[in-house]
Amino acid sequence: MAKSNKVNFYEKEILRIKEDCYSNQWQIDTVIGLKNYIDNNFNEQLNLTHFSQIRFVSKYHLLRLFKTYYGQTPNQYLIDKRIEKAKEYIKSGKSVSESCYEVGFESLSSFSSLFKKKTGFKPSKYQKSNFR
Amino acid sequence: MKIKLVSVPVESQDRALKFYTSKLNFVKKKDIPVGEANRWLTLVSGEEQDGPELLLEPAPMNFEPSMTYQKALFEAGIPYTQFDVADVQKEYERLINLGVKFSIKPTKMGAAKLAVFNDTCGNHIQIIEVL
Repeated sequence: MAKSNKVNFYEKEILRIKEDCYSNQWQIDTVIGLKNYIDNNFNEQLNLTHFSQIRFVSKYHLLRLFKTYYGQTPNQYLIDKRIEKAKEYIKSGKSVSESCYEVGFESLSSFSSLFKKKTGFKPSKYQKSNFR
Repeated sequence: MKIKLVSVPVESQDRALKFYTSKLNFVKKKDIPVGEANRWLTLVSGEEQDGPELLLEPAPMNFEPSMTYQKALFEAGIPYTQFDVADVQKEYERLINLGVKFSIKPTKMGAAKLAVFNDTCGNHIQIIEVL
């Protein structure tokens, strides 16, 4: 791994953490597979039951696994993904309501409050603020 | 309260400005003289110019404990900070071709891939890709 012969403290830590925490390849493949699925289908109606069915893992085990590897639940990740995409859509000139529905939200009011919570701006204000 | 600025201590602001702009494609945002050849020198990512600013802080040259801390981290190989990239392997190859030295080659860690390079200004910097 290292370029020099001497393995430094950080490299040793990396190896230790890999062995202690990340030695289960099935778990890693499962959570990466789910994240990729969310990345590619964020605009669909997604929920934990659906995730569980496509990954063949019980709902609560999948929830725990995803949180262990990514530090947030699949639903939290999905919301972040949708808000990031909505920002892109608004920047590209789409209206707030178009952006809301195209990223998969069903309610404009819940989209608006989540957008404000995540970015500090209401979507309409974000649109007028020159995206800062 | 918002996080708008993070800092990295550098042994030379001139050398750091050159490295971070020419190798990492960061863009100079603010450059304000603050006396004794020091500057309030900030950069932003070329890919996200409205993102947080990175302060190239001349602390090691002005405050001995900062230099001691920076050296201890460097000798242990511990990155001072990390930056996100879309593809660690691709970025590793791009930077290797620009002569950047890596202490850790692209390595998978759970649901992430990382690599660590030397910024030539007293720091190891980690790049990370969330898989």
